[in-house]
Amino acid sequence: MNNMTEIDKRKIINVVALSFSCAAATLGLFWLTFILADVLRHGFTYITPELFLNEAAPPGMAGGGLKHAFIGQLLVTFFAILIGVPLGILGGTYLAEYGRHRRIGRFISTLSDIMISVPSIVIGTFVYAIFVKPIGHFSGFAGSLALAIIMIPVVLRTTEEMIFLVPWEIREAAFALGAPYYKVILQIVYRGAATGIFTGILLAIARIAGETAPLLFTSFNNMFLTTNMNEPMPSLTVTIYQYAMGPYDDWHEMAWAASFVVTLFILGLTIMGRLIIRWKYKN
Amino acid sequence: MSDQIMSVKNLNFYYQGDVHAVKNISLDIKKNQVTALIGPSGCGKTTFLRCFNRMHDLYPGHRYEGEILFEGGNLLERKDITELRSRIGMVFQKPTPFPMSIFDNIAYGLKLKGIKNRAELTDRVEQALKQAALWDEAKDRLKQSANGLSGGQQQRLVLARALAVEPDVLLFDEPTSALDPISTSKIEELMVKLKQEVSILIVTHNMQQAARISDQTAFMYMGELIECDQTDMMFTNPKEKLTEEYITGRFG
Repeated sequence: MNNMTEIDKRKIINVVALSFSCAAATLGLFWLTFILADVLRHGFTYITPELFLNEAAPPGMAGGGLKHAFIGQLLVTFFAILIGVPLGILGGTYLAEYGRHRRIGRFISTLSDIMISVPSIVIGTFVYAIFVKPIGHFSGFAGSLALAIIMIPVVLRTTEEMIFLVPWEIREAAFALGAPYYKVILQIVYRGAATGIFTGILLAIARIAGETAPLLFTSFNNMFLTTNMNEPMPSLTVTIYQYAMGPYDDWHEMAWAASFVVTLFILGLTIMGRLIIRWKYKN
Repeated sequence: MSDQIMSVKNLNFYYQGDVHAVKNISLDIKKNQVTALIGPSGCGKTTFLRCFNRMHDLYPGHRYEGEILFEGGNLLERKDITELRSRIGMVFQKPTPFPMSIFDNIAYGLKLKGIKNRAELTDRVEQALKQAALWDEAKDRLKQSANGLSGGQQQRLVLARALAVEPDVLLFDEPTSALDPISTSKIEELMVKLKQEVSILIVTHNMQQAARISDQTAFMYMGELIECDQTDMMFTNPKEKLTEEYITGRFG
């Protein structure tokens, strides 16, 4: 009798816990689909060829586009990748190979885990203080630097983990053939970890592609097309922010359309990353 | 009686923190013979084996004392480890194919030695695969990933990779303990055949294996060499009581 009530109690707790977690998941999913659907629905209707082909028109004039912001975004992201990916890969290699059994290695790992969760606006203000302020003006490079700083810990930790997955015995086998350490890393470890590292890079790019806050203080924005990275650079995300806040209807429309493009881009990158992971572990 | 290819003289080995793992071992490794190292887990036989190709050099805090004479010098003092390791190859417990094609796996050691000529590489890859009895199974898939091979095939691939650089000595560290019986017997057959070209030193937990394939057997216990003799003598008429107890399965 006593036994039965104990079991009943457990069953009740189980049902309660299950309902709460289901409710929480539904709530989360609801907003996620709501936001995605809203962006896609609104954004899609405002996608026009002019959006990609024209630069910004003066307020009130029709036919403006966001070509300058697309190009700016690509440039800022490109240079961020150029800075962030090599540093992240090299750092991750150090941690997983040379720093494997050192205390400093574990310390850096933990530090980059913390770095991953630092709010991006903090990184924006940091770059503002060390870069923008000293040179006296906003610049595309500063934006790239801020995004690179966000990327580095992501790439570094993925690289470290992927390299760690390459069994130690395989390195020993290469050493036993007489290979020096750097060749073992370049020719064997990187090959074994390549898809994983590549996926990490894709996900890191997806992570920075939607960042606005770090760019506000660094590359700022520009209404005109420029390829000079030393000037204030337009970017999609900051443009979305400004246009959405602005008083004009066509600005709002373009902000929707730009959101659509950014969302689709990030969604695509993320799905691609996941597919590669899945494909890799199937083989 | 064949002469020795390597001669161990009063070898001591210490791991980090002065852990004395190999204690004052002297032993001759005979040319073109299979020498088996047996003994219970933790007796130091793998540690001993890894002295021959200086595998311990990878890890900090190790110390060798004594000599292993090879080609007229003490190999423990050699500086050209790359060259040494191409003369003394090693096959590990678990198959260790590199994440690349079958061809590139075999060619890896050759490329390390500076062989770039495509025709020569192709020839020597084929020769090595034939030596390791893998040619028939692999010849149509040389460009495919080595990870697609079965465990037993992978182990023969690793053997072919070690053979490709034409070593004088091959070290085997429990090469069949991860394999099924059929793959095991293939590897054993190969070892017996290969001893015409290389001298073989094998660590094994499997006493039947030692009895089947080796010419001389060395029994180790707690870091010391207890006894070393012709294999048939060892298994029929051991001189030491400890050896007898181990090979009759009373401990270990």
